[in-house]
Amino acid sequence: MKCVRHRHAAAAVVLVAASLLAGCTTPAPEQPPPAAADTPYRPVASIREVMNSVIDPSADVVWNSVKTVIDHGRPTDHAPANDQEWAEVRRHALIVSEGANLLMMPTRPVAPPGAPSLAPGVELKPEEVRALIDKNRAGWNLFANALQDSLTPALAAIDAKDSQALFAAGDKIDTTCENCHQVFWYPNAGKLASAR
Amino acid sequence: MKTKIFLVLLAAGALCAVQPAQAHHAFAAEYDATKPVTLTGIVTKMEWANPHGWIYMDVKQPDGTVKHWTIETAGPSQLSRHGLKKADFVDGMSAVVKAYQGIKDPALANGRTLVLKDGRSFYIGSVGGPNDGADL
Repeated sequence: MKCVRHRHAAAAVVLVAASLLAGCTTPAPEQPPPAAADTPYRPVASIREVMNSVIDPSADVVWNSVKTVIDHGRPTDHAPANDQEWAEVRRHALIVSEGANLLMMPTRPVAPPGAPSLAPGVELKPEEVRALIDKNRAGWNLFANALQDSLTPALAAIDAKDSQALFAAGDKIDTTCENCHQVFWYPNAGKLASAR
Repeated sequence: MKTKIFLVLLAAGALCAVQPAQAHHAFAAEYDATKPVTLTGIVTKMEWANPHGWIYMDVKQPDGTVKHWTIETAGPSQLSRHGLKKADFVDGMSAVVKAYQGIKDPALANGRTLVLKDGRSFYIGSVGGPNDGADL
């Protein structure tokens, strides 16, 4: 499964690189594709809002559920301590995993109308993200599926009430997020950080 | 039923409490690669947590006051890969951290290297930082 994920990520990177080489004109204001007549889905929130309201807060709960705080040399281990706390973490892991499906809905806008880049010059403008997604929908969907795959070990760890396995799974989730962000959100950030 | 809802909210609150803000952004959106800092001081706390670790450090200023720094590090699996252990964070631990200062918060930094009193040096940088050779 790990190899499959790596192949998917590599394929997405190749697809987006080809798209970037194909044309570098300034994109027009974001226009999500029109809804197909037969689709029942009606996106309410933008991708940015889904990230900020659904995926990121729930991922934080999963990440923060297991950790060690070393205060003046005294370590305190934190982990879900009872069935209720495990159920709470599981709920948030499911929200992240199902949230990936929300990201793949083709008519969902990247950001609210007229919204700017939150870090101009570093993170792309919504219309630039839109252009990347539209040129490489397959790559976008592969990354969303990879996010779901990265939650699979977390859910298994939660079901087994294995805090160490859940802690290890947290790293995979972050890596998956970062892989997608570096392609669709801030593809030039690494170069910028080094150039400054 | 009310008790059950209260307990669930309490559990959620406990899980969410005392976390630094963790909205995901690029390094260059949060930290200034033109502002490298070398912090020499006492590590008071370390959060060995995903997706990033956090080192809290007291650094004495030239005027005698103490500035409390919060330093983002790579995640625990990366730190472990570079040889750092939870047991390295002992009480009263003095250390030198090389980092890049936050753009909006001058007491926030993104760590690159951590040097302990015994001379051991660890790469603690997270993904997306400057290509400054700290990881070599």
